[in-house]
Amino acid sequence: MAKRKVAALEKVDADHAALQYKLKRDPQSYRDDFINQYNQYETLRELFLQNPSSADSGLIALKSLIEFISHVADRYPDLTSDFPNQLAELLLQHHEVLEYELRDKIVGSIVLLRNKDVIDSTVLLNTLFPILVSTPSKSLRQLLFTKILSDLRSSNVKTTNHKLNRTIQTVLYNLLESDKQSPKGLWAVKITRELWKRQIWTDARAVEVMRLAALSDNEKVITGGVRFFLGGDKEREEAADDTDDDEDVDIARLRHQVGINKKSKKNQRDLRKATVTVKKKEKKKNAPHPLNFSALHLLHDPQGFAETLFSKHVQNSKAKLQLESKLLVLQLVSRLVGLHKLTVLSLYSYFLKHLTPRQASVTSYLACLAQATHQYVPPDALEPLVQKIANGFVSEASASEVAAAGLNAIREICARQPLAMTDTLLQDLVQYRKSKDKGTMMAAKGLLSLYREVGADLLHKRDRGKDAAMGIRAGTIKERRYGEQAVGEIEGIELLEKWKEEERRKKREAAGLDPDVDDGEEMDEGEDWKNWDVESDADSDDSGGWINVESDGEDIQISDSEDEKDKSKSKSKEPPAKKRKLGSTTPAPTDATDEKENSKSIEPEIKSISKLLTTTILTPADLKQLRALQEASSISSALPSHKRAQLLAQRHADEAITAETIEAAASLGKKNTKEEKIAMAKGDRETNHQSTTAKRKEKKVAEGKSTTNKEKARKKNFMMTLGKAKSKNKRSLTQVKRTLAGHIDRSKRGGKRGNKGN
Amino acid sequence: MTSSSRKKKDKKKDFQKPKLKVGKTRPKAANSTNTSFKAKSIALKQQSLSTVAPTLEAQCAHHLGLLNHKSDAQRRESLAYLTTAMMNNPPMAALPQPPSVIIPTAQRLILDGSNNVRQQLLKLLQSLPQPDIASHADQLLLHARAAMTHLANEIKVFGLDVLEWLLGVAGDEVVSCAGGWVKMLKCFLNLLGWQSEATSKWSAPKSYGKADSKIQSRQITVLTAFLRAGLFHAQAVTSIVPNGNNFPLWQTEHHVVSDRSNAFANLNLFGATRDEEAEMYEDREDRQRVFHDRAEAAVATGLEQATKGGGELGRAAAQLRKVIKEGMADFYREEITVS
Repeated sequence: MAKRKVAALEKVDADHAALQYKLKRDPQSYRDDFINQYNQYETLRELFLQNPSSADSGLIALKSLIEFISHVADRYPDLTSDFPNQLAELLLQHHEVLEYELRDKIVGSIVLLRNKDVIDSTVLLNTLFPILVSTPSKSLRQLLFTKILSDLRSSNVKTTNHKLNRTIQTVLYNLLESDKQSPKGLWAVKITRELWKRQIWTDARAVEVMRLAALSDNEKVITGGVRFFLGGDKEREEAADDTDDDEDVDIARLRHQVGINKKSKKNQRDLRKATVTVKKKEKKKNAPHPLNFSALHLLHDPQGFAETLFSKHVQNSKAKLQLESKLLVLQLVSRLVGLHKLTVLSLYSYFLKHLTPRQASVTSYLACLAQATHQYVPPDALEPLVQKIANGFVSEASASEVAAAGLNAIREICARQPLAMTDTLLQDLVQYRKSKDKGTMMAAKGLLSLYREVGADLLHKRDRGKDAAMGIRAGTIKERRYGEQAVGEIEGIELLEKWKEEERRKKREAAGLDPDVDDGEEMDEGEDWKNWDVESDADSDDSGGWINVESDGEDIQISDSEDEKDKSKSKSKEPPAKKRKLGSTTPAPTDATDEKENSKSIEPEIKSISKLLTTTILTPADLKQLRALQEASSISSALPSHKRAQLLAQRHADEAITAETIEAAASLGKKNTKEEKIAMAKGDRETNHQSTTAKRKEKKVAEGKSTTNKEKARKKNFMMTLGKAKSKNKRSLTQVKRTLAGHIDRSKRGGKRGNKGN
Repeated sequence: MTSSSRKKKDKKKDFQKPKLKVGKTRPKAANSTNTSFKAKSIALKQQSLSTVAPTLEAQCAHHLGLLNHKSDAQRRESLAYLTTAMMNNPPMAALPQPPSVIIPTAQRLILDGSNNVRQQLLKLLQSLPQPDIASHADQLLLHARAAMTHLANEIKVFGLDVLEWLLGVAGDEVVSCAGGWVKMLKCFLNLLGWQSEATSKWSAPKSYGKADSKIQSRQITVLTAFLRAGLFHAQAVTSIVPNGNNFPLWQTEHHVVSDRSNAFANLNLFGATRDEEAEMYEDREDRQRVFHDRAEAAVATGLEQATKGGGELGRAAAQLRKVIKEGMADFYREEITVS
């Protein structure tokens, strides 16, 4: 009896696996055995329930039975109808005392049952979620969190499961609302943030959950919610980029390998999988970009949110938040104020108290202040702030970094609300452009150039610069009043108009007509519509078919009141022609209405531009042309300051300002250390040099491609070549002769294979 | 291979034997590790300084703790120790450890993987005083049932052994405890493959790990014992107290508090609500009714086949048939009179 004795328990385990396999193939025949096992499970469960915290040998059996039954439960739905409930109950009531392996097994089994569609997601999540928020065990929390997330993801894969999402969002909302003090709400924050990042939840309800989190009483929950608003969207974009990049499969290569290597099912499967991913990627590439709103835009009532956030967490002296979290909240408030152009007046008086150079992380405060400024903030509220910054930060006595930061902050504020500045203060500040420190100097220059654009009359005459001085003299530059809106326009529309006019003239000249008379306008119009999506080239062939519908072009036009007046005077088909004549190149027109227009053409150009927009619909071809014209003009016109201002304005519109923006100016004058200089000089150049051939060869090896015979011969171990070299010397004369003859023959033929066959 | 003499020498050096000399310490191996260490003080965690040997009670407690030991030899040894301790106990003296402590710890070894441990466990159980078993009957029954439905045949058979012993010691408690009657019947029917819900008339496929006829006959035998305990009148009727002794009081024994533990278990005051299966059936009539409703037809068909088989199986089946006939005799009569 040398045979090793197998212990009963070991045998049992083996048997469960085997039985499971057989059950799955033929559930009906093994029904009796399943019933036996199920009875066994029930007995063990009863025993276990009498002492759930015990850790004796019965547990192992119970664990393997639970696994076994959950694997085959879908085959016997009539027998196992209350099995999921029993597991859930076991977990819910005893999760604190359960032995950890059994606990994890039960969690896994419930998830398995969900994957086999024995229970639905709602039941699963309703079981797991209460445990997630109440269990003291870290590993269990981790497990549950991943399970919950993966289930939510998998149930949203094909289509968005609105019902489930709504239930879970309600659960999370209720969790946050029921107990504002407890840190349990952090789980709501974590789940929502993760799902937001993966673009599974993109609606206002998720944002509402986070809004509640930001307004709770627990510091961790607050910062979680606030951080979501400040960084959630960026995280989402990054995650989307990541998923695009990874899994670069080379399908051609895989196909090639399958042809060559030994055929196995795994290889085939891999190939199929790769094909599917590639197809999916293609589809994704062609799919329209998902329209995802930022969380800040999905907020209901941003004004109320900003006010409560500010009064509850920042202004309230009883709120015991750390400085860091407080700054985060302040950032969110100011971001909301800047983005939605809200009015929270108490915010500015709060800043007044904190803007001293000694305040910790004052640059963040400065950045927040700049962020909270927009054109509807009353200048009276901002003036003392600007004054205070100027007094506190910008002086000869203060350190150069402080002065630079102060000037930079003032510029950021004034870029948003130019009216916050008084002329005496501005003239004082501008003097700092003579400063010896580079950072201060640059910051002051920035302020100067800003005011040349937005409020040149506040500057001394000699500081105004050429453009501004000329503009003021001509009266084209006017100070914008408080609350005044810029007239909306499309950049470069006048260029497009000019171009269209020229095209028309060219065509008329080609047709032998007087370019200045406008008879064939309607045809022009028709062709515009025809060239809807094509590169609009002038020499398109004559219109035919149903595409050239002239009256349509007129029906769509949007009419001004002024336009209506003109229409009543002229013939019905005239108005689209008129706007063309308003362009600068239009010479004397012929009929009466046109003369009237001509008298009007002295008026500023803006009006005419608005007319082009109001009378026609720009086709995609037009827009393309417009873009091309814009680019051309931007290259040709060298207006650096102007352009810079525009860029600046663009940036201000939707992005956050951070402390780094404020500190940037100060770092300008800073001297680098030697190490930094060396690192900068080295840049991202590679350190070890390699020839191109070597690189190519390395790449080839890395890809696993074959080598030439020559290369193989060269690489051959020296010892192995010795024998052949030795025998070469011992050849007989006939052998040598044959070799030589062969050599000559080969060289004549052009190599071993020869070159005549092909 | 190499021609260089230096390399050859080097190679030789690797395999040279160190020369040992008498009277000198042995040279240390090249890879020896120095494990000595220095410490200012050494603290002993616990220290037993008693001069007397530990008492029997303490040793028994120690061995009870060892029942969880991972080595099956150790478990068997501990069981053996406990058994001898119980056996050698003088008749009127108290046991070194009360059965209420021993049974809960020992009972889970019914499902133990090693045969030796299980056999030793049965010996221990048999050595315990019989009246004390009764109060733990329901627990033991649960374990026995778990063993009977176990995948391993050895454990299955052992479960039957335990059940047989239990029926002998505390038959009445077994059949009347919560879930003891219906669940056990169901379990037996399952094991024998006699389900009443068997739909087809075709012979059932030989199922996975099904017991051979030997195990089956054993199962039938134990089922016979079980039914005898459940369907027959309890043998030990309450002791007949001579009435004259306490004259003014009649039927005192019905009014005093029962000496059984948990006398009101049938009321189920604190447990979870029970369904029909888990209910306690304390009356013989109840048990007869339930047996008639749930199992009798299935048993009858099963018996028919078993009897045809003949041999040992057939004999066991005949026994069972007899027991059922006797046990259910008065039930039928009642039914007839009612209808």
